[in-house]
Amino acid sequence: MTRQGIKELELTAAKCRRNVLRMVEASHHGHLGGAMSCLDIVTALYFYQMKIRPEDPKWADRDRFLLSAGHKCMVQYAVLAERGYFDKSVLDTYGALKTKIPGHPDMHKLPGVEANTGALGHGLSIASGMALALRAEGKDSKVYVVMGDGELAEGSNWEAAAVAAHYGLDNLVVFVDFNGLQISGKVQDIMDFTPISEHFAAFGWAVRDIDGNNMEDVVATLDSLPLEKGKPNLIVAHTVKSKGISFAENKAAYHYWTPKADELTQAINEVEASIATLEKEVKEAAE
Amino acid sequence: MKGEMKDPRKAFGKAVSDIAENDERIYVLSADSGGSSGFKEFAAAHPDRYFEFGIMEQGVTGIASGMATTGKIPVFCAIAPFVTCRNYEMFRNDLGYMRQNVKIVGRNGGFTYSDLGATHHSLEDYAIMRMIPGVVVLAPQSPDEIRGAAKAMLEHEGPVYMRIGNPPIPELYDGEREFVIGKGQLLRDGTDLTIISTGSTTVETLKAAETLAEKGVSVMVIGMPTVCPIDEELVLMAAKKTGRIMTVEEHYVHGGLGTLVAEVCAENNPVPIKMHGVPKEYATSGPYDELLHYYKLDAEGIEETALAFLKK
Repeated sequence: MTRQGIKELELTAAKCRRNVLRMVEASHHGHLGGAMSCLDIVTALYFYQMKIRPEDPKWADRDRFLLSAGHKCMVQYAVLAERGYFDKSVLDTYGALKTKIPGHPDMHKLPGVEANTGALGHGLSIASGMALALRAEGKDSKVYVVMGDGELAEGSNWEAAAVAAHYGLDNLVVFVDFNGLQISGKVQDIMDFTPISEHFAAFGWAVRDIDGNNMEDVVATLDSLPLEKGKPNLIVAHTVKSKGISFAENKAAYHYWTPKADELTQAINEVEASIATLEKEVKEAAE
Repeated sequence: MKGEMKDPRKAFGKAVSDIAENDERIYVLSADSGGSSGFKEFAAAHPDRYFEFGIMEQGVTGIASGMATTGKIPVFCAIAPFVTCRNYEMFRNDLGYMRQNVKIVGRNGGFTYSDLGATHHSLEDYAIMRMIPGVVVLAPQSPDEIRGAAKAMLEHEGPVYMRIGNPPIPELYDGEREFVIGKGQLLRDGTDLTIISTGSTTVETLKAAETLAEKGVSVMVIGMPTVCPIDEELVLMAAKKTGRIMTVEEHYVHGGLGTLVAEVCAENNPVPIKMHGVPKEYATSGPYDELLHYYKLDAEGIEETALAFLKK
């Protein structure tokens, strides 16, 4: 991909970060840390990789995206809105009664949502079922999943990990958003699943470790799929919790954020400044 | 009640397999459980639509949900507690909340896995399944009803839980009778008492009604193969006509058929109700017919319970 293409994706990601903050403006709370850490990956999936039709969200031949760590839903809403699945004004209803964008996604309320995730350890099984059925139909659709790192402690994931490998589901692509922090502290102190890629490799997955906040790295990884023919793909995305909000980066306290004092204003200023910078860089890259 | 006794699992497996011959959307999923669920022939005939996953009921429930999102109709049958209790959150979220067209069948329901002990008994499945919004709960009472229920279950759009037993059971009807989800069957008319039964206890209830008739007690018997949604109309007809209702089920006294019937009557026409089933305990183990006798769920125990209720 060209430098301009990368910069354009980075700019889109910055705009999606602004969308996340727009939801926090509406509700004054939200799972910030995880939404921001995997945001570059989700942006690349929707704006670069996936075969989708936002105007026809149920298109039978589409690729699927599941956010297994459903509490990171602000990233999903931010990206779907930016991609045109629904009007951005819906973002202003985050936290409101009868909103279409509840604190964990609901496929029956919002176009583009494929599964009602949120209870951890469900997404990988659902995605494996999708991948298996799509392959049985002879479709070349892919199923993409973002999981949390703390979520790996749910035993049901390992049932699905065995299934995906047993059936050689190379149309299944899973990112573990390894920001290293969960609500109570460091993932490795709470329940250590490192080295994550080796665990999955032992189950029979093709694995790769990447910098999940580096758009070049993310795009290069997407370009190289499947990592190995006949094996499901597991990408350990090393990321920064609350990426893009300086005071919140790498802090477990921002797993769930209720902005204090002028925190929200500062966050908005930082993200808007990065949008302005990236707009300039895109222009320069084009010239 | 007539004819030879038939294995409910084989009746179920054959019914689904016959329908699947002409419906390619039907996939059969197994957690090392397909062969014992009557799907041996289906697995051999349709390896492309039969998936083995090993012993992982949570995983299979989620996988079934994912498959259903593409228009498939996954059917997953295994030992009842493992497809209701073990995977409850997957049932609730991935099937119920996601409204997926998946059919889960708990076989060896109740305490038909008699001497294997309480880990393998399923005496709360109606109660916990009925609490998941949108889930239909079926408990067919005979091989002919299993055939009808299988067809109705596959035609119904949405998640269904069906309980079947294990020991051979007799047919209930002369010829085929259409199975309609949400409709009970008036199996015997009467005026003194109505006994409403579901699943495995209906045959014994009919026998009890016969001996009660000989003692001058006129019993209406309703078979209720759909536990949820309950046939309110039929329950209220019985309440009005006999003024007393007894419920019988191979399930805990609380939370299942008896509770559903009591809810309908309490809100619309309160009548005396006797809820008869297994007390809330880890049931003892032993031969199936002896367990039924111990918990007064055979014809003799049902008759005795009915007579005591009538004396109150």
